[in-house]
Amino acid sequence: MATAYLTHQQKVLRLYKKSLRHLESWCVFRDKYRFYACLMRARFDENKNEKDMVKATMMLKAGEEEFWTRQHPQPYIFPDSPGGTSYERYECYKVPEWLLDHWHPSEKAMYPDYFSKREQWKALRNQSWDKEVAQLQAETGIEGIKTEALPPARKEGNLPPLWWQFVTRPRERPT
Amino acid sequence: MASRVLLQCVRSLGRPSLRLSAANLAVRATAAPAAARRPLSFAADSRRPRWLGQSSIPSVGVLCRQYGDLPPLTLETIKDRVMYVLKLYDKINPEKLQTSSHFMKDLGLDSLDQVEIIMAMEDEFGFEIPDAEAEKLMSPGEIVQYIADKKDVYE
Repeated sequence: MATAYLTHQQKVLRLYKKSLRHLESWCVFRDKYRFYACLMRARFDENKNEKDMVKATMMLKAGEEEFWTRQHPQPYIFPDSPGGTSYERYECYKVPEWLLDHWHPSEKAMYPDYFSKREQWKALRNQSWDKEVAQLQAETGIEGIKTEALPPARKEGNLPPLWWQFVTRPRERPT
Repeated sequence: MASRVLLQCVRSLGRPSLRLSAANLAVRATAAPAAARRPLSFAADSRRPRWLGQSSIPSVGVLCRQYGDLPPLTLETIKDRVMYVLKLYDKINPEKLQTSSHFMKDLGLDSLDQVEIIMAMEDEFGFEIPDAEAEKLMSPGEIVQYIADKKDVYE
């Protein structure tokens, strides 16, 4: 998504997903949920070919209001999602990668393959940093950046901007 | 589902001939979401007579950790599970389904169908896929790549 605004289709799809998840929280048994999910899908399907945007937006607004009145007070939230039980639980164990430079040589000797190549990777990062910054500055317009999405590398032989942050990010579940 | 897996672990420890292997767990993990959720008491009742017939658990000949976690994911298992769930969907023709088939262009699905597919994937793998990234996943291969990226499989 390029801009900061959602299109009508995106808003409808998000409402559909939210309503199905809350329906799942209300109807605990799977066959009952499946039945009401099919009814919900039929309600969305009968209006999907509406061409008049004003009417479609009014229907979306009515749908959102209906969702708000009929939502579940404690919907099922996945553990890793915001509001879930395991959200950011392991965040304190995710250590930045520059700490690897501070390891004792006896600890570094436990992983010889990695540390033999680490210096080359760091040299590569230093080399390509100026080009990455130049690319980002060139691509940021006058108004500033609209999204968090990073652009890919445009020229041959360049690396994508801020690749180091991405490549050395900590694992989801640090052991 | 986790309790069923644990019951089966304990049962197989009681049977010295059955070795606890990752393959067993993976097969059960894929079979469990597809089956309907049976009430727990029924499952426990059907297993209890067989389990009580065993003598006390012998000293561990099978070396395995008993932490409460799922078996590690690999690219093949992710792909198998994704394709299994997609074949169960009634609007998709199982013969025409490939890893690279596009939902909208090749399989003729709707954007609402794509939302339902992503929700099925979330239920299968147990973590949420945010809407901004979910609307871009348009083929099984992309879904597998996204899940492998999020779960750090073969990073």
